[in-house]
This record gives sequence, structure tokens and C-alpha cells, in this order.
Amino acid sequence: MSTSTGDRNPPQDTSSGPGGSASSQTSNGGYNTQRTGQGAQYSDELDNSEDLVSEVEEEEMPEETEEEYQTKQAVLKASLPFVHQYGWTKKAIVAGAESLGMPSMVHGMFPRGGAELVFYFYEESNKELESFLKQKVTELKEKDEKIKTGPFIHDAIETRLRMIIPYIDKWPQAMAIQTLPQNAVQSWTNLSRVVDDIWFYAGDKSNDFNWYTKRGSLAAVYKSTEIYLIQDRSEDYTDTWNFLENRLEDVVSAGHLARNLQETNTVLSEGAKGFCVMVSQVPTIPKPTEPNRNDK
Amino acid sequence: ISQRAKDEKTRKLLSRIIRVDQAGELGADRIYAGQIAVLGNTPVGPIIQEMKEQEQEHLETFNKLIVEKRVRPTALLPLWNIAGFALGAGTALLGKEGAMACTVAVESVIGEHYNSQIRDLMEDDPEKHKELIKKLSKFRDDELHHHDTGLEHDAEKAPMYDALSQVIKVGCIGAIWLSERI
Repeated sequence: MSTSTGDRNPPQDTSSGPGGSASSQTSNGGYNTQRTGQGAQYSDELDNSEDLVSEVEEEEMPEETEEEYQTKQAVLKASLPFVHQYGWTKKAIVAGAESLGMPSMVHGMFPRGGAELVFYFYEESNKELESFLKQKVTELKEKDEKIKTGPFIHDAIETRLRMIIPYIDKWPQAMAIQTLPQNAVQSWTNLSRVVDDIWFYAGDKSNDFNWYTKRGSLAAVYKSTEIYLIQDRSEDYTDTWNFLENRLEDVVSAGHLARNLQETNTVLSEGAKGFCVMVSQVPTIPKPTEPNRNDK
Repeated sequence: ISQRAKDEKTRKLLSRIIRVDQAGELGADRIYAGQIAVLGNTPVGPIIQEMKEQEQEHLETFNKLIVEKRVRPTALLPLWNIAGFALGAGTALLGKEGAMACTVAVESVIGEHYNSQIRDLMEDDPEKHKELIKKLSKFRDDELHHHDTGLEHDAEKAPMYDALSQVIKVGCIGAIWLSERI
């Protein structure tokens, strides 16, 4: 289990890769000139190659500044409309950057390429979901109504999945990108965010292992419904929402089954204990006296 | 360093602290439960019972904080549940001195741990974390009181006291490390 998952996730998590932005490279500038400056003595420097290697390792990548972050967000936002044409790829990012008047080289800010676009879209959708959930909870509070967990969760998942529909033509590609090993951790973090938000606003107060079972089961429902969605051809995807309802019912009945099994277990073990006590008392039962065969 | 990154750092610190403290209090509660299972009917029973009730209070506080601050509880809770009870019962089978030795070892690790958490919180933002720092300080004092109680009741007379104490301390430190991350 990754350490960064499960907790309420950071708002955005686009990390600055080794390429970094133009501004971050200036901090390496000094080192670079040292290395290539003395051409004639280059062969001598090769003897000190261990020092060169350790110098590289010591140079730490500077943290992404707020300005870099905002720039990246703007580029990704502008790239989304190009997804239909180019898919979730660097090409789309380049098109987006150019539409903002930036040079195409800006794609160097996104070392993970198309995956960055997928994550950006996923995280923005998660934010939208959160504000939807917050609003719903506020509305219910104002009307002084209690949250009905089942319908609430159904609505939440339906809302979140509907955000995919505008991009559904290219969503299978996005799902494939998310399953790549280098993207798996971030994808899992994003999914955890969805289920944690839904449960939190639905009023979940668990503080033990139920925390995990609830989120795990909801993640399974969400994922399976997402897969169903991308091949659904029904009007307004009503088949998908029926599928979702059935999956949620499965979870509820699994919970009932678990509870029944537990009760059965208690009854059976009490019964077994009682039986053992009874058996242990058998030696204390007095033997019936033999009738005297000589009596007539 | 941007405000966003700073908030993220604080959030991670708080999550870690609350997660490991909840696990620790559950473990401590279960250790005392194990000890009571063996030594409940002896003269030292009521003393252990009192300590257990204080741990229960601590546990309830952290259970509330987990929900309030939206912290993920450690996935190892079921493990600490069983391991704590086993440790308590196991050391209690060595006699009352064994149980007390276990208490002393565990409480000394926990006391140090609370102190380092308080230090981390003060370093991060003493104003923002004032409430939490107060709670942790009180709990630390309770744990040290338990530690002293254990010593008063002949912990050091336990069989293989030094070895027992070391093993338990190392185990606790390992459990703390794991619960902070998993």
C-alpha cells in the first residue's frame, strides 16, 4: 500500500520531472559549464568520473513554484478540447499550448506526456465532484433532512461518471494509460480520492478496518461501472445506471451476508459450548440401579 | 515554498501523528486487556483496570480525531488488536512482575514518542496545533504515570527484565514505524 494514498489527497499532484521547466535548469547551469568548459582537459576529468556522478546526485531538483504550477494548469486546461482530435497525447498538449500562444517546446514541462493530461482531467473532475457533494450536503442540512446513504452514493457515482461522457470517445485510451505501471500509483491515488470523498460526504464515521472495506467495495463498484459505461450504447446510458444500481445492491447484500454469518457463528459457537458442557456433565448422572432379578 | 506545499506538509504530519497514536492507544488498551485476562482476579487487577480505562479515554479521543481530520486509520489495526492482547497475556503469564515490566517498557517508548510528536507540531505551527499539543501533553503525562506505576509494582523484579524490556521496546518502535506508513 503506497504511503501517499488513502489520506485526503493533495489538491493537485503534477510533479516536476527531470526535465523541469526552463527556470529550474538555470540552477544546474553552473554545473553544466564546468563540465563542458575545458575541452582539452576533458580526458583528465573522465578520471574523476566518480566525482562527476556524485555531483549529479547531489543536485536536488528545486520544488515546483506556484507560477510553474499555474502555467501547467493553464496549458492542460487549454489542451482538453484537442483530446478528441489527438487523444490523450503530447500532441494534444502541444496544440493546447500553441492555442495559448506558447511555444510547442512547453511540452517539456510534462515529462509523462499524455498521462499528465489524463491526471489533470481526473483531478479537475474530482474537484467538481467534491463541490457537488458539498452542495448536496448543505442542501439536505437546510431542509433538515437526513442523508439516505444508498441514493446519495448512487447519485455521487453517476455524477462523477457523467463527467467522462464528453470524452467517452477517447476514454478507453485514458483508462489504458492509467493502467501503465509508471502511472499506476497516481491512478490509484485518484480513485482513492473519489471513494474517500463520496464516503466522507455521505457521512461515514468509521475509524477502524471498516474504513478500508467501505472504500474498497465502492472503488470496485466505481471501476466496474466505468468499464460498463465505455461500451454502453443505450439512450442516455440508462443501462449503465441500472448496472450501477445492481452493483450497489450487491454490496449491501454482501454486508447483510457478513452480518448474518457472524450471528450464525455466534449461535453455533454458543450451541457447541452448551453441548460440551452437557457432555462433561454425563459422568455425574447417577447410574440407574439394576432391578433385582430375584424379585418377582 | 508555496502555501499549497506548506499546507500539504502539515496535513501529512497531522495524518501521520493521528494515525499512529490511534494505533498506539488501541495496542495499549489491548495489552492491558490481555493482562487483565490473566491477572484480573489478583490484587494488581484493579490497578491494571484503572490504567486500561485511561487508555480507553485516549483511544476515544483519537477515534474522534480520525473522523474529524479525515485521517486514514492504519490498515494494521486488526494485527495490533491481536498482537497487543497476546503481548499483555503473555507477559502476565510471567507473573505480576512480568506484566509490570511490559507496561514500563511500552509506556517509556510511548512517552518518548509523544514528546517527539509534540516537538514536530511545535516546529510546524505552535499556534495552529495548540489544541492537539495540549491533548498530547496530557496523554504523555498519563503514560509516564503508568510507567511509574509499573516501576512501583516491582517491574524490575521480572524474570530477564533487561532482555524482556529491550525486546518489547524494539517491537513497539517497529510497530510505530509501520503504523505511521501503512
